[in-house]
Amino acid sequence: MSCPKTEHILQEYFADDLAPLASEEIERHLAQCPICSAELNALLQTRDALAGWQDSQVPHWDRGMELFRREHQAPRTENSWFSSWQWLPTGASLAMLCVLLLNTSVTVSGSSVSIEFGDSDNADISANLADFQQQQQQELQSIIARFEERQDNNNIQLLQAVVAQTQQATADNLDRIYTYFEEQRQQDMETMRVSYQQLVDSDYATIQSLQDLAQFVSFQSNVQ
Amino acid sequence: MSFIDEDEALIAAALNGSAFAWEKLVKRYESKIYNHGLRLMGNSSDAMDLMQEVFLGVYRNLHRFRGDAKFSSWIFRIAHNKAVDLNRRKRILATGGSSDDEGPDLDRYPDEHGDEPESRMQEQQQNGQILSMLTQLPFDQRLIVELKIYQSQTFEEIAEMQDISVNTAKTRFYTALRKLKTVSEETHVLP
Repeated sequence: MSCPKTEHILQEYFADDLAPLASEEIERHLAQCPICSAELNALLQTRDALAGWQDSQVPHWDRGMELFRREHQAPRTENSWFSSWQWLPTGASLAMLCVLLLNTSVTVSGSSVSIEFGDSDNADISANLADFQQQQQQELQSIIARFEERQDNNNIQLLQAVVAQTQQATADNLDRIYTYFEEQRQQDMETMRVSYQQLVDSDYATIQSLQDLAQFVSFQSNVQ
Repeated sequence: MSFIDEDEALIAAALNGSAFAWEKLVKRYESKIYNHGLRLMGNSSDAMDLMQEVFLGVYRNLHRFRGDAKFSSWIFRIAHNKAVDLNRRKRILATGGSSDDEGPDLDRYPDEHGDEPESRMQEQQQNGQILSMLTQLPFDQRLIVELKIYQSQTFEEIAEMQDISVNTAKTRFYTALRKLKTVSEETHVLP
């Protein structure tokens, strides 16, 4: 079964703006014609299903930053200080590992081997770890402060550029733009803080594991 | 009172040499452009190529943006033109220009998210089903569906962008929707 009006009716149904008269005619026909009505429902269902698209995440890319910097001859230093600071926790972990290893002494007597970690005690290692954690926290605060300062400078530069480019800028507009940049800055700050904290926590956990391992090996050696 | 939106502020700063502003501008649109490319081209690799071409085009022509239209309209017009070019190039490379109905390769798309959480997997699965339907359409119909359903453009705007009549745009959309309905009934890919 088919209806000769289906194509015309449904094509018009999806038009952007219909004259009231045409709209009434379409509605009247749809109310009377089960074929067109069923076809319309199927098309609407298809359209709704397509609209269920959820944005996929963009794979990592450099956003044209290399090109931009090259052509504007901007030094890479804008972010580079932070890049180098990112390795700080890992470096600190290595330093702690060296401390643990340097405090290790191996004694061979007869047929037995005795391994000791420093002259020490667990209390010393715990104290070292506490110092290390405190030091990391201070460094984190210091990095956040520097990052904030850099972000402020960025905002000021942006506003200066906007004012230079658009002479007719009003105070209201500038306020609004500054608010927007400020929100972006706060988001960046929070993201950075969380990432860094995770990094520090993970390094601290690694060192604790090393401490446990050291205690275990020491215990085993002493048992022998 | 003149009105300066965030895009214009970022453009002004980027033109003044601020890499920070350029990155912000890209971040504001990269997801929309990438997903636009994914739906039109059917796979992540071509969507990435398209997105990079679009932003390169934006970068090269940023000084020409006068603010007569919204930046979002401007960038999507660039994306539309680049997508048409990319599709033409792909068609010529693949078939010597003989076939119009060649569906983009979907192989890489669903496999790229193997480590995602369940909700993300479902979302990707749903997108994959939509893509498998869209790629059944010839490119010109896929473009109309993209502009109408995902960009919410009027048939008048679509007609102007594609250099066709409003009636052709309406007919093409209706034909595309009917074909998508048939595909979904045949494959039961949609609820």
